[in-house]
Amino acid sequence: MSDLTSRAGAAPRGPAAPAGPAAPAAAASAPGVHPRPLWSLRPESDRASGDAVVSNFLLHWFPAKALKASLDWNYSLWLGTISAALLLLLTLSGMPLLFLYVPSVERAYQSIKDIEYVITFGSWIRSVHRLAAHLMVAVVALHLARVFLTGAYKNGAGRGQRREWNWVIGVAMLLLTLFLSFTGYLLPWDQLAYWAVTVGTNIASSIPFAGAKIRELLLGGRVIEQPTLIRFYVLHIVALPGLLGVLFVYHMWRIRKDGGLARADREALLRERAEVAPARTKTYTLLGIARGTAPTIRASSVEAADVTVNAVPDLTRRAAIVNLGTIALLSILAVFIRSPLEEPANALVTPNPAKAPWYFLWLQEIVTDTTLHIGSFTINGALIGGVILPGLLVTLLTVWPWLDRSPAGAAGVWFGRDRRTQNLVFVLLALGVIALTLVGTFCRGPYWHFYWPWQAWPEIPGRI
Amino acid sequence: MRVIRNRRDFLLKLGTGAGIAALGAQAGASLRSLVPNVSYDAPTTVKIGPPAEYPDGLKFLPDQRLFVFREGNTFHAISAVCTHLGCTVRAEALSQVETRTVEGAPLRMTHKFMCPCHGSAYSGDGGNVSGPAPKPLAWFHLSVSPDDGQLIVDLAQEVGRDFRLTVG
Repeated sequence: MSDLTSRAGAAPRGPAAPAGPAAPAAAASAPGVHPRPLWSLRPESDRASGDAVVSNFLLHWFPAKALKASLDWNYSLWLGTISAALLLLLTLSGMPLLFLYVPSVERAYQSIKDIEYVITFGSWIRSVHRLAAHLMVAVVALHLARVFLTGAYKNGAGRGQRREWNWVIGVAMLLLTLFLSFTGYLLPWDQLAYWAVTVGTNIASSIPFAGAKIRELLLGGRVIEQPTLIRFYVLHIVALPGLLGVLFVYHMWRIRKDGGLARADREALLRERAEVAPARTKTYTLLGIARGTAPTIRASSVEAADVTVNAVPDLTRRAAIVNLGTIALLSILAVFIRSPLEEPANALVTPNPAKAPWYFLWLQEIVTDTTLHIGSFTINGALIGGVILPGLLVTLLTVWPWLDRSPAGAAGVWFGRDRRTQNLVFVLLALGVIALTLVGTFCRGPYWHFYWPWQAWPEIPGRI
Repeated sequence: MRVIRNRRDFLLKLGTGAGIAALGAQAGASLRSLVPNVSYDAPTTVKIGPPAEYPDGLKFLPDQRLFVFREGNTFHAISAVCTHLGCTVRAEALSQVETRTVEGAPLRMTHKFMCPCHGSAYSGDGGNVSGPAPKPLAWFHLSVSPDDGQLIVDLAQEVGRDFRLTVG
């Protein structure tokens, strides 16, 4: 082995390798050697721009060239990048919280109170973490809506594309985001936490046959106690973020493998193939670098000079704007928006009304309204609204790319004409979810009775 | 089913199989360790004080999530756990008390029960009246302890709505 490498390494140098003090400068200009340890924000040449992508670890997932159309602010709205920025921020702000929070039913609430009122910057860090989590749910959902409405899960011109599987990964990541939020707001062990666990695990126990066992596995017993808290804690800090991280990396890799955004395929499909002038080539061989001239080819527009830009700096600049902008916005918001903390968990008193966070309120509405009475036979709304309906929705989302029979040209454009009906159905379903969320947020009072936002709630004693 | 061709093939399959079996066993053992073998839950049979401490009408026991009703010298107990998703229902006194026959036994209806989570409503006998609750509130068995005369509730033993404990 060592014999082979030494020969391969020595052979190509030959007379070109100079000796003496001039060596570092000359080596720097050799092919495949990247003189700058850091990449430039303003590369001087295409060569320097390409080198940045090759030499920098953080940039290795970028292509050397990016399609101008794919970088459009108003095509992707950069929602995926914002989600990634929020995930980064959540990881960073979660670190100090890991040191400060104590996952014990006796001490969890007090440790959150310490973070909120005693620890320097504690309340700000917790607010960053909480706001980023809320925003991430919203942005990931919007990202999914963008991908659906532009038909971006469809394969186009490239070979070996598996965009439908990246969509499936995306749906899984949305569910993980929701589950991370759920496990996160349980940790303060306040009233919101306690009753959310009660309701959430009872929804699981409404599953026929296996339900009781599943609830026992989630709770670590038959009542909500220390085993429950430690289970949700480990899920929140290790299991779910780990899984989300793996899927995130795979999601990014697949975008590269699928040839970029669906919009790139659209450009390739719609545009004429243009002749590309012969260019100088170099091929790395075992014995050295063979230089030559490429044959004239008819390339798709994706490589054409007038529609592409160098990834460095055009793509990196926008990615930086989105990332830093998200972080800046949240850092400022977190100064002004404090995180709520309800009364300590009390198994004896259910708050009235007991409301879930906004992103679960549509589910709370559905479990309220879906108990079915057929003669003397009753099906609990927990099963229909809490398991069957959301399960159907997720299944439908997952398999949709295989049901969508529109032509490849319908991908990569907002509200494509060939996908009008499915886009309409999607928008109507989304509006339904939003409407239920609004009803749950603004129109539900004590005992989950309906009140208009301007109606006063009746006085109800806090305890009996 | 493919046939094993030679010794090398056999050893390869044996090794792969052993690896998969080991991983499967590890995963199974890890999951099984999360299923509790011992329950440290509160006992289901609880002494809830001497009958004389109970006023006529309703008393709420938060620790047991239980309503205990007294009507002269008869007692009955209704669960406060909503049958929909397990929140604790609240009792609201009715403005006028009426006596109805429930499962053949007369019952004085003094309260109704409402759930703060999803708006289920129950009548004074625990029957589900409106909202998403799929079935009535549970009634639990009451008895008198032979040693000190306290009431005992058995939270694992559901009884019919004609159950009454008469204390001598």
